[in-house]
Parts: sequence; structure tokens; C-alpha cells
Amino acid sequence: MTSPAELLALAPLALVAGLAMLVIVVDMIRPGRDSLVTAVAVIGLVAAIVVTALVWTTGTRELFDGAYVRDDLTNFLDLLFLSIALLTILFSPDYLRPRALPMAEFASTLLFAISGAMLLGASRDLLVLFLGLELLVLPGYMLAGFAKRDGFSTEGAIKYFLLGSFSSAILLFGLALTWGYTGSTRVTDVASYLEGVVAGNQALSPALVMGLALLTTGAAFKIAAVPFHYWTPDAYQGSPTPVTGYLSVGPKVAAFALILRLFVEALSPLKGDWVAIVVVLAALTMTLGNLVALTQDNIKRMLAYSSIAHTGYILVGLAAFAASPRGSEAERAGLFGLLFYSLAYAFMNLGAFGVVAALQRRPGVTSQISSFSGLGRRALGPALLMTLFLLSLTGIPPLAGFFAKAYVILPALQAGGVWLPLLAVIAVLNAAAAAFYYLRVIIVMFVQDPPENAAGVSTGRAMGVGLAATAILTIVIGVVPTFVDITQRAANALLAPL
Amino acid sequence: MSLPDRIPILGWVWEDLLFLTFAGVMLGAALLVVIGRNIIRSGLWMILSFGALAGLYVLLGTPLVAAAQVLVYIGAISVLILFAIMLTQSKEGPSRLVFHHQAWAGALAAVALALLLALTVLGTEWPQADGQLRPSPSADIARLLFGEYLLAFEVVSVLLLAAVIGGVFLAKREDLPDPGEAAIEQVRLGSSPGGPTGYTSGGIGPSEADAARPSGGIGSTGAATTPGALGPSVGMSGRGDAP
Repeated sequence: MTSPAELLALAPLALVAGLAMLVIVVDMIRPGRDSLVTAVAVIGLVAAIVVTALVWTTGTRELFDGAYVRDDLTNFLDLLFLSIALLTILFSPDYLRPRALPMAEFASTLLFAISGAMLLGASRDLLVLFLGLELLVLPGYMLAGFAKRDGFSTEGAIKYFLLGSFSSAILLFGLALTWGYTGSTRVTDVASYLEGVVAGNQALSPALVMGLALLTTGAAFKIAAVPFHYWTPDAYQGSPTPVTGYLSVGPKVAAFALILRLFVEALSPLKGDWVAIVVVLAALTMTLGNLVALTQDNIKRMLAYSSIAHTGYILVGLAAFAASPRGSEAERAGLFGLLFYSLAYAFMNLGAFGVVAALQRRPGVTSQISSFSGLGRRALGPALLMTLFLLSLTGIPPLAGFFAKAYVILPALQAGGVWLPLLAVIAVLNAAAAAFYYLRVIIVMFVQDPPENAAGVSTGRAMGVGLAATAILTIVIGVVPTFVDITQRAANALLAPL
Repeated sequence: MSLPDRIPILGWVWEDLLFLTFAGVMLGAALLVVIGRNIIRSGLWMILSFGALAGLYVLLGTPLVAAAQVLVYIGAISVLILFAIMLTQSKEGPSRLVFHHQAWAGALAAVALALLLALTVLGTEWPQADGQLRPSPSADIARLLFGEYLLAFEVVSVLLLAAVIGGVFLAKREDLPDPGEAAIEQVRLGSSPGGPTGYTSGGIGPSEADAARPSGGIGSTGAATTPGALGPSVGMSGRGDAP
């Protein structure tokens, strides 16, 4: 089965998994050379991005009997995941080095996690989806506990590990019931079988109802939707800051990739049955995330709750897809909104955590919001960047966050009915409430006086490149049509007949 | 002499009796794993539970899976778990399990979930159920493993490698950084010695982490051992972070 063209379709995934091993080997030959490891990882990831872009021109291809598909969605997600990994690696040396944390293990673990994320985006098999998910989250637990001597890091990692393992088991149970009832692990077979069930107009069998409930619970845990979000604040607050940035975007977008392959492709015939729970989850997640974020004093904890709120906005796009009639324009627009929001959110949120990590290059800088006081006078560059990212997270035009919010709220209005427009209204109200806590940080940076012994902020070269890249992307994603085009293609790939 | 086809008084076939025996042993042993106070004994009961499950696999006509169950779960995983317990157990730790405070709620939830799943399995017309058990030869399993499920098979090896690297890093004993090096680092970064730095010769202590973390949040590491630390109180406690 392995013709060269098929091997090429696998190349991005194989490159990243191979790079993860290469990093360890390099560290074995030249121990402790952190800058060498960083260079190898960065060059490898840039090469993987170029290869993915080249492979994109070769069209759609199915491998392994349909278990692995490289379509427009796979390529879109691969590029997004590779960029997330690249930025995280650029942000990390400034934080890890002063704390004597090893770069090689960090980079290797991160790359393994990213290969899991890439597998999730490309898999059309229930078993491979589960394995991809585990390959994504297992290294994630380890990254959360990366600062071994820090009690908070270990505590966050243990909570993340325990709740993550339970949710994986719940999801696996749901997959087993779905497989048992439909008789196949292939997403295409499951979808066509369920098509028959829906066409037969029978009531859903108990196994499908239970399977759907377990799958929803497991997926909601992974995206940290309320009320399955308990692990999030502690894991995010305790983790080393570059890891927190990665955890808030990588696993979240990857879990949405799982939802796209599982709920949108395999279970879309049943979407009338799961739309109600998505609407409820979206409303709860947005509202609770924002309300709790309002009261936080710790920037990492605040951004953790804000990331929960953003999960809610992304779910609005999913709800718009599920509530729209099949083949309608609103259905397509909902998926496009989901993907575009993930794209914009990834860069603006990573950027915000990047600035926090830059401040913490000087050990002893806490994550309290007060550590930002007077930053505008101490270090104008980082303060302006932070302002840019926070304004984008608020949703101020013409930044990426504004377009992202518009693209999920408009389909919800188009979808019709009573509940989806109501959800759109809740999303708008939430966006307004969220402005309070984002703007508070900006006020602290520019209005408050700096503390007496405050020092400036010095950034390494990698950090500077990473922050510049995220800032440029945050500005251009909304206004340059290329990004809209590739997101449209990815959304269309999902709706193409299997 | 030969046995009668059915059990004299009850009228069951012998397989039913075997099934009930294995299932009863498996569930009873599993229950003892959970409610036992001594973690070593829990590990030993787990071996019995795994063994009974292997018996069930034989009854289902899958001797290869049964053999794998014995080799992998009883032979390797149980021994590994017992070793891990013996190597990591410290005398200072609490002898009673710290998560037992919600045992009743947990038991109720488990029973409710088990009932729900039993009703689900009984209430579903499973499409493939034709009442026939066919033994599955190992050649078929091999064909599936290296054909239809080849990708999954390969991914498992990457997953295991990632887990090994992560596990070794977390378990590796690290020497504390040399105080001299730490001082050089500090000078290089240009932070004043009297500044708010927690980077002392002791390496990264708790002072380096968010020292001013409000007690209303997850508080100290000790929070992990207080009742309900994993319950809803953790997430919601964020609301108490207000000044």
C-alpha cells in the first residue's frame, strides 16, 4: 500500500514524531546544550511546516484503509499545531533556563504531544482517535509537572493526571459502546450505519444514548467545558508559564479536532440529539468562565478562566452547526466559525502567556496581576504587546479576536429557532463582561505606578521572535483573506461526503 | 465416568456455572482491591481479579486474549505495580488512604453507573448478536493487527516511547544546581541581590512559585490531601480569590 505519494501524506506526522526522538538523541550526544536543542527543534518544526504546506498542494488522500485521512482539515490543523509547538519552544528558554529546567526533555515531550494532536486531526478511526488523544495528553501531564521541585506544579499535574485519566476512560467507554452498536471502528462506517438508524426513524437504542452521553462527558472534560473544568485553574496556575500557554491552546484545539472527527463526522446523523447539550454547555461555559475570571488576582488563573470562557464561544460555533438543517449555509458557517475561532484564539492566547513568561524570566516575578503594575513605564514593548493580545481577547476590531467572535455569533443568529439566537445574545453579553477583566490588566500596566524595586524586562532572541510573530498574526489573521480561505477549505472538507 | 450434560438440580449448563464462578471471583476481588486498607493486599487481590477475567476470556473462546491477559496483566503489570508500591511507600505518609472521605458518595455513584450500564446492555438489541461463539484463531488476530489496525499498532509504540521518556524524567533524581552557578546566572541576568528574587542557592523553592497565592485558591500543596480537594470545591474556590 505504501507508494511514495502515500508516504508523503504521512510525512508531517512522521517528521514531528522523529524530531521528538532526534531531540533526545542530540541531548544524549551533547548533554546540556540547551541552545543547540532549541535550534534543532525550531529548524525541524519549520521544515515540518514547509513540508505540510507542500503536501497540501497534492490534494486529499486516504491511508491505512481509511483510518488516516489527509484532507484540507488535516492540513489546516497540522499547520496550526506545528505553529503552536514552534511558538511554545520559542517562548520556553527564557523561562526554563533561569530555573535550571532541562530544554531537551521539554522539547521532546512537547513534540510527542503535538504528534498526538496531529494524529487526532487526521484520524478517521475510533481506536486511532483514542490513541491520538492519549499521545496528546500523556506528555501534557508530564509538562504540567515539569517543575518537579515546585509543589504547585506537582499538585496541578496530579489533579490534571487523575481527572484526565478518568475522562479518558469515560470517553473510551463511550467509544466501545458506539463500536459495539455500529460494528465498526471506522468513522465512515459508523456514520453510514447511524444514517440508516436515523432513516429508519426508530427511537435511539439505550446503547447509543449511553454512548453519546459518555462521549460528550469525555470530550467536555478535554476541552474544559463547565461543569467539567475543575482541573483547569489548578493545572494552569501550577504549570511553568510556557507550559500553561501550550496547555491553554494545544490540547484545547486538539480536543476540538477530536470533536470534529467524532461528533461532526461520525455522529452527525444524530446531531439533532446532541445539539441541546452543546447549547447548554456553551452557555454555562461562557458565563461561569467569565464571572469567575472577573475576581482573579493571579494572571495565570485569570487567563485559565478566560480560556474556559473562550471554549464556550467555540462551542457556539459547534451549536450553530448542529442546530442548522443539513446542507444549509448556516451549518457550514458554524464549522467555519469554530475553526476560525480556534485559529485566532491559539495565537492571541499564546501571545498573552508569552508576555507573562517574558516577565518571569527574572525569577521571583510572581503571577500576581500586581506584578504588571507600571509596566508601561518600565518596559513599553512588552506592555504594548500585552495590550494588543488582551484587546484581541476582548474582541476589539480589527484584531483577530473580533472576527473570531463575529464568525461564531453570526451563524448562531442564522441558525434560526429560539435557542441559538438566545445563545448568540448570551455570547455578546459575555464578551462585554469579559472586557472588564482584560481592561483591568491594561489599566494596571499603564495607570498604576511601578513598585520601587521594579526592574525592566529583558527578553531573549527566541522570545522576541516568538512575540513578534504572534503579534503580527493577531493583527493579520482577521484582515488578510488567505486565513479566511484556508479555514473555509478546512470547513468544506468536513462537510464533503465521506 | 462422565459428567451429566446439565447440573443436576439447577438445570444449568456447566459453562454457566463456570461463568458465574469467574464473574463472582472477579467482582469480589475487585471490590476487595477498592475497600482494602493495605495497599499491598489490594495489589494481590487485583491479581486474582485479573486471573478470573482471563478465565472469562477462555469461556468466550478467545484463548489468545486469555494468554495475553495472564502474561501481560498478571505477569508484568501486577509485578510492576507491586514493585512501584514497595519502592515508593514511605513511612511518613498517612497510613490511611486520603481519598476515603467521599467513599459513600463514590460507592453510590459506582452502583448507579453500574445499574445504568447493565440496563443499557440489556435494553439494546445488539446488531451482531447471533448467539454464536466462534473461536478466533491467532492468525486472524495477527491479520487484523497488521492490516486493518496497523496505524493503531504503530501509534501505540510511539505512545509507549513518549510515556517512557516522560516517566524517566519525572522519576530521575536531580542534583540541586550548584550554588556557584546559580549566583553567576543571577549576575548574568542583572537582577539585584536584594531584589524580590526567590532564586537562592537552594534552587527553586516554593518561594519562587507564586508566593502570594491567595489562600482562598487551591492554597498550599496540603490542599490535595484535604477532603474534597478533587471535588467541586477546587474549581469554585477561585471565586474566593477576590481581594
